[in-house]
Formats: sequence, C-alpha cells, structure tokens
Amino acid sequence: MNQRSNFIIDTYLMTKRSTIAIFRNPFIFIPNIMISLFFLLVYQAGLSGISNIPAFEGASYLAFILPVSIVSGAIGGSGGAGQSLVRDLENGYFSRLLLTPTSRVAIVLGPIIAGMIQLFIQTVLILLVGLWMGLDIAAGFGGAVVVILLAAGFGLAFAGYSVGFALRTKDAQASQAGTFVFFPLVFLSTTFVPYELIEADWLKFVSKINPTTYVFDGMRSVLINGWEAQPLIYAAIVIIIICSITITFASLSAKRAVNRD
Amino acid sequence: MSNQAIVVEDLVKTFKGDVKAVQGISFEVEDGEFFAFLGPNGAGKSTTIQVLTTLLNPTSGSVTVSGFDVGKDPISIRREIGVALQETGIDPSLTGRELLEMQARLFGFSKHDAKNRAQELLDLIHLAEDGDRKVGKYSGGMRRRLDLSLCLVHRPKILFLDEPTTGLDPYNRNAIWDEIRTLNREFGTTIFLTTQYLEEADQLADRISIINKGKIVASGSSQQLKKTVGMDVIDLSFQQNEDAEKAKEVLSSWTKDYRLTNGELTLYVDNGAYLLPDMVRKLDKEGIPPISLNLAPPTLDDVFLQVTGEHLEEKAVIKQEGVVSP
Ligand SMILES: Nc1ncnc2c1ncn2[C@@H]1O[C@H](COP(=O)(O)OP(=O)(O)OP(=O)(O)O)[C@@H](O)[C@H]1O
Ligand SMILES: [Mg+2]
Repeated sequence: MNQRSNFIIDTYLMTKRSTIAIFRNPFIFIPNIMISLFFLLVYQAGLSGISNIPAFEGASYLAFILPVSIVSGAIGGSGGAGQSLVRDLENGYFSRLLLTPTSRVAIVLGPIIAGMIQLFIQTVLILLVGLWMGLDIAAGFGGAVVVILLAAGFGLAFAGYSVGFALRTKDAQASQAGTFVFFPLVFLSTTFVPYELIEADWLKFVSKINPTTYVFDGMRSVLINGWEAQPLIYAAIVIIIICSITITFASLSAKRAVNRD
Repeated sequence: MSNQAIVVEDLVKTFKGDVKAVQGISFEVEDGEFFAFLGPNGAGKSTTIQVLTTLLNPTSGSVTVSGFDVGKDPISIRREIGVALQETGIDPSLTGRELLEMQARLFGFSKHDAKNRAQELLDLIHLAEDGDRKVGKYSGGMRRRLDLSLCLVHRPKILFLDEPTTGLDPYNRNAIWDEIRTLNREFGTTIFLTTQYLEEADQLADRISIINKGKIVASGSSQQLKKTVGMDVIDLSFQQNEDAEKAKEVLSSWTKDYRLTNGELTLYVDNGAYLLPDMVRKLDKEGIPPISLNLAPPTLDDVFLQVTGEHLEEKAVIKQEGVVSP
C-alpha cells in the first residue's frame, strides 16, 4: 500500500493515543498550568511597581512578565513528550509498538505532537488570562499569533531535548532530572527586568548566550512595541538553531533506542 | 512457500560486555506445530524470542520466519507474527478496548473493523465487562489475558509467547492454556512458547527443545525425551550427604545411571517397582535408610537433570505425585 498515507495514519494514531494519555492524567498538565499562572499572577502582583523605572520605557509589567509564564508553560508541556516515552519504555508498550509494522518515526513523533497540542492550549489559556488581567497587545491579534508560534517553536526545541534525553537514559528518574535545565533556561535571562537593569556581569553574559532571552525579546516586542523586524528575526534564528540541534539529538537517540544490536 | 514456519541456523547473540546469551543454536518449527523452549532463568529464551521477532539483530547465524529473513525483511515478519513478551506491553492510561482498537488500526484495520475485532477479542478473553476500564486498574491475570489478546488482533500465523503463564494462579494459567491450545488445534496457528514449567511444556507442546546456558541440550517430543532417560526414576533422600554417597556405592550395580545432588540420590533403573523393595532392604541393612523415596516414570526434569546435571525446578514442586513411603 502507499507508504505516505500509512505514515500519516500511524502518526495520527500515535498522537491520539498520547493526547488521551495526557488528558486522562490531570497530574501531568494541571501542575504545569498552575506554575505558569502562578508566575503570571504572583510576579505581576509583587513586581509590577518596578515598571515605573525608566529602563522599562513605560511598558506594562504584565506584558513584560507574560512571556515568562508562557515560556515556562511551553517547557513543561513539551517536556512531557520525553516523560511519556519513558513511561512507554518502562511499561513495555514501546516494545509492543515496535512489534507492529508502525513507522518508527511515528512512534516518537506522536508524543511530541501531543505535547505541542498541550502547549498550544496552555499558551492560549495564559494569553486569555493575560487579556482578562488587562493586557493590551501592541501588535494586535497577529501579535498573539506570533507569541503562540514562538512558544511552539521553543517548545518543539525543548521536546526534542526531552525526547532525546528520555530515549538515551531510558529511565524515569534520569529524564526527570534532565528537565531541570528549565531553571537556568528560564531564570538566567531577562526574566524579571530588562537587560540594562541586570546587575551582575556574569548574569548579563549568561543572558546573552541563553536562547530563552531572544524568545522573550521576540514576544515582548509584539506585546509591548508592535511590529519590529529585528527581535522577531533573532528569535526565529535562535529557535531554528536550537530546534536543529535538539531534534538531531532526538533522532540519534531514537535510532539508538530502536537499534537491534 | 516453504512449510517451515521458523528456521534457525547457528544463531549466536552476544550482548555488549561479552555476554554470550545464545551460543549457536539451530532448530526448525513446522507450520502448525506447537513448539516449546524449556529452560531455567538466564538460559537465553527471551533473547532468542527477541531475535526471532525482529526486536534484536542476530550477532551471527541465519533466522527465517514465515519465509522472510529477520535482517532483510523485518516488516513482512511483523505482519505475520503475534508476540507476547515476558513483560506485558500495555499503556495503563488506555482502556482494554482502546488498546485493542489501536492495535488493530496499527495493523491496517479500518475504524469499523477495528471496533468489531476489539469486541470479539474482549468476548474471547472474558473481559467484555471490563473493556471500558483503564488497564491500569486491571489485575495481573486480566493484564496477561489482555496482553495475549493484543497479539492476536491481526490473526497472526505464528505466535511467540515468552513465559505466558509465569506468576499466574491456576485459574488464569488454565484459561491461557485452553486459549493457546485452541489457537493451535482449531486455527492451525504455529506456536513458539518458552517456559520454565515442565508441566506446561509437557502438556502443550508437540516438540520441546531444552535450552540451558545459551545452548540447546536436547530436543524431541516429550515422550522421546523421556525415553532417553531410561525406564524408571527412583529418588532417594537421606539425612546426610555421606549417606547418599554411601548408598550410591551400595546400589551402583543395580542402576544404569545416577545423579547425586545434596543429600538426594536419583537412580535410573530398568524395572523400578521390582527393584525397589530389595534396594530398601539393602540400605536398611547398611544402616542408611532413606528418609523419603519416590518411584516414578521419568519426567522432563529427569531429562534436564541428565543432560545438565542440575534440576530445572525445585525438588519440592516435582515430588508431588506417586510418593511411596518406606
Ligand atoms: N539487553 C541485554 N544486555 C546484556 N545482557 C543481556 C541482555 N538481555 C539478556 N542478557 C543476558 O543474556 C542471558 C540470557 O538472558 P535471557 O533473558 O534470554 O534468559 P531467559 O531464558 O529468558 O531467562 P528468564 O527465564 O529469567 O526470563 C542472561 O545472562 C542475561 O543476563
Ligand atoms: Mg526470559
């Protein structure tokens, strides 16, 4: 039969299965949404006063902190893809899938796409909460779409990382530990204040090389300033680079995991 | 096409760190045959199954399943075989019905056909009532039965079952035995089963290979294997090792062969019922009366003992039938 339609059906089935698994286990996605909303509410409540400092150039702190909430949610949501593959490896379902004629790529792709669906729903939810809290998106509806796209791109990169890590270690604890890069990624950046206000030189340096900074910048530009080319191009380039790296890592690990030697 | 379901020649499987799991085994299984691999922990049973079912590449040797080479055409093999690995392969967040439907869809069934097939199988394994519960809530026996039904979804011609009844209670064990017997006898499904249970191999299989430490040490039907042992088997146990040693000396002229394992003396004799009273009298006279004795036709354990020098199962388990008190 024709290969392509089989591949599409396989991917659809694998995605459906992972999506069911995510939404049937509220412990997988509820805490993640909670943490994101927590960031949004608590930082907004506690820190919004600092946006009076000139370096914020009159931006609302809500628009400034919203990308932190979205990115942390994106990381958590897409990190689930790796966790779900580890669960498959541990409960033997991965082998059962390998014993079917199913495309090996679809087996790994399913959880990733399911993670992206979760991420999309979360991002929309956070944006809605933001709007309800009085967010005014400078670039309008298109700006919201850009925020979602950047979140998805960054999430995909992190999904690649978590899947690669999961398939390499094949161990729940180890791959749980792997998700701890979340902290440096999210917090060693322009998380709470603009670059100019960061005190320590080392943190300035780290935030320059942290890809998350460029994703924050891209999101903030559409939320606060409207349409500006440079931050969006930088964000896109950074996302393409890290996606290529992590997805290559994921494919290599996947090859090793289904390797039959 | 050939009427050999499985052909294995000089199969070697070595894992990293020079673990020689399978060390050059050869065997054939005919279409429709019920074939069993009998062997203790670590014998290489699961490794062999994983090579035959395309999960592992052979290190060397050739393996053909349903006429296809495992290295060259694994996908064709996967369409023809059903596999229940030693560990069940189940996603606990789905229901039994969802897992069965998913499995059918992955083998190319339409949505409609997949639904029907799932219902059929739920009925077959008596899980219809629990079909819509999450598998995570199933008991061990229910999981096993579901796992078995998952490998039947696409009506495979060859079934691989790796220790399908290990750890099950007698009720579930019998249910699975009936099931696979029916598949073999009524649907002509070729079956390759591995087990550590003598009784399982004895009751179910047309032909048995005994595997130990990565090598096949004996093959044949249960009857043929038992014949190689001799006529009867007498087990004598003694208070002390030395007594068993001494008994061996005393009785050596009457036996064809013997085995001595910590305080237990196993004798292979031509006419056990006739010899036994004389033997006991003789041992009594020597002052080393056995504390228990047992006369029985040979079991597969005796075959195993004879070819490997060790018992396959704990003595206590086997000694349930035909115990004669002195
Ligand atoms: N992936 C692996 N890597 C390294 N060694 C392995 C691997 N799988 C199995 N082995 C080793 O190969 C040998 C045979 O193992 P195998 O699982 O085939 O035995 P078995 O007959 O199925 O035993 P059991 O009855 O306990 O299931 C053992 O020594 C085992 O430790
Ligand atoms: Mg095994």
